[in-house]
Amino acid sequence: MIEILQWSTLAVCCAAAVARIPSAIRGENRSLFYIFVLATLAILLSIDGPYLAIDRVLGGSNITNLILRFVIYGVILLIGYRIAKGFGAPTSVRLILGPVGLGILAVIAGATVALFVLADTAGSVTGLTTLPSRSPENAQLIRLYAGAGRLYPAYVAACLFPATYAAMTSRLPKGIRLGAGLLTLGFAALVLGTFYPLLPTGLGHLEAVVNYIGALAFILGLTAIWICRVSMQAAAQKSSTAK
Amino acid sequence: MPLPAKAFQRWLHGIAPQASTADICRISGVKRTTLAQQLVRGKVSESTVVSISRAFNINPVAALATFEIYSELAGSPALPTAAELVSQIATMDLLKAVIARPAGTAGGSETDQQQHAPPLAPVPHATSVKNWVDAIDDGELRHRVSTATGIAPQNYSAQLSANRLTPELALATARAAGVGLTGGLLATGMITESEAGWPPGARQAALDALSDGELAALAGDRLQALGRNLKRQEQDHEQTKKIWENLG
Repeated sequence: MIEILQWSTLAVCCAAAVARIPSAIRGENRSLFYIFVLATLAILLSIDGPYLAIDRVLGGSNITNLILRFVIYGVILLIGYRIAKGFGAPTSVRLILGPVGLGILAVIAGATVALFVLADTAGSVTGLTTLPSRSPENAQLIRLYAGAGRLYPAYVAACLFPATYAAMTSRLPKGIRLGAGLLTLGFAALVLGTFYPLLPTGLGHLEAVVNYIGALAFILGLTAIWICRVSMQAAAQKSSTAK
Repeated sequence: MPLPAKAFQRWLHGIAPQASTADICRISGVKRTTLAQQLVRGKVSESTVVSISRAFNINPVAALATFEIYSELAGSPALPTAAELVSQIATMDLLKAVIARPAGTAGGSETDQQQHAPPLAPVPHATSVKNWVDAIDDGELRHRVSTATGIAPQNYSAQLSANRLTPELALATARAAGVGLTGGLLATGMITESEAGWPPGARQAALDALSDGELAALAGDRLQALGRNLKRQEQDHEQTKKIWENLG
């Protein structure tokens, strides 16, 4: 079940990135292309097989997980900026790219690196799942490391949630409202992510399901807005030539 | 609420016993796939009945009246009130009338200028549904409609602002307001003025009967509403453009 969700998320994201290539070459919104490429990379790195293969090349000390964290921070920063600007939320732009937002990113990034260095991370393990059991101290460090990794996405999501929710319930074109709704769903998943430590241990797989559904909602949401633009502009062109 | 397919078949058999479905569609201009789908689902839309009855030169209102839920449409409809008539005049026609009036009275020698006034645009106009309901609303109408039909008030107003109203609600609204039952069907564009039993020229006569003050106030209200609407559309358009610039 999780495997299917993982690989289909990867496929959808990869397809979206490939589909953006022509418009990226034309110079339309290159950053959206980078978002899809980085997101594809992030999803690839979070799947068992590719993770182990890449981490072996990088020395088998789980440094790939650290890279993954930073790829996610980058994607979130780019997406956050684009969405805040697009949905006309100047407060969100300030909260994400202003001194507060960048300060939070710097602190979290620093903490991520520090906790990673302090913890015993030898031996590739996807999602670092078995590392905590090595020692109580390691358990604490890994728990904090994972928590720090979820904090920044949750912060950005909380900043943008009101803007996309408002767009979802507005009178804008249907495609945009659908896209905004999917983005809102993705943000909700990211915010929920901070509460994972409160989940009972038996529900570990729920975490992954929420993560991937969130990622999928993001990609589909951005794609919906894009398709809406393409189709409406094609319709406008057709009617203008018909006249 | 759409009409039951069984009753529809019976009605169709009554007016055109020989015709096949394909014939009916060809004459009435209803798409074959649409009709087939409606028959399969067991629910035929009112507009299908209207199109078919027009093709067979039957008054659509009389045709609808043969179905049980629309049986109260039978008989000659009550005449529209003056407010209803004026509500079905397009905003631009009202504004033209405002401009034409002083010119007509000041002209002196050309007193019959009003005779040459351009014909009013046909019903429905861009805000005809909302204007119709406003014209017959005594302040409690929306409330009565929602208790009578069970529709949530916000869904009802959403339909009105979208210039739509299901035939069933149009009828319920007219009933709750105690006006002619065909007015709502006309305002939604389902039937024409003459099919609704509105006398020809009645709208023009109602417009001419308005005093200068009434006309100016009414046109002013409409113009204000139009301005709000256009402004909102422009804002939405701006936002859409911005979203596309950043995320398209």
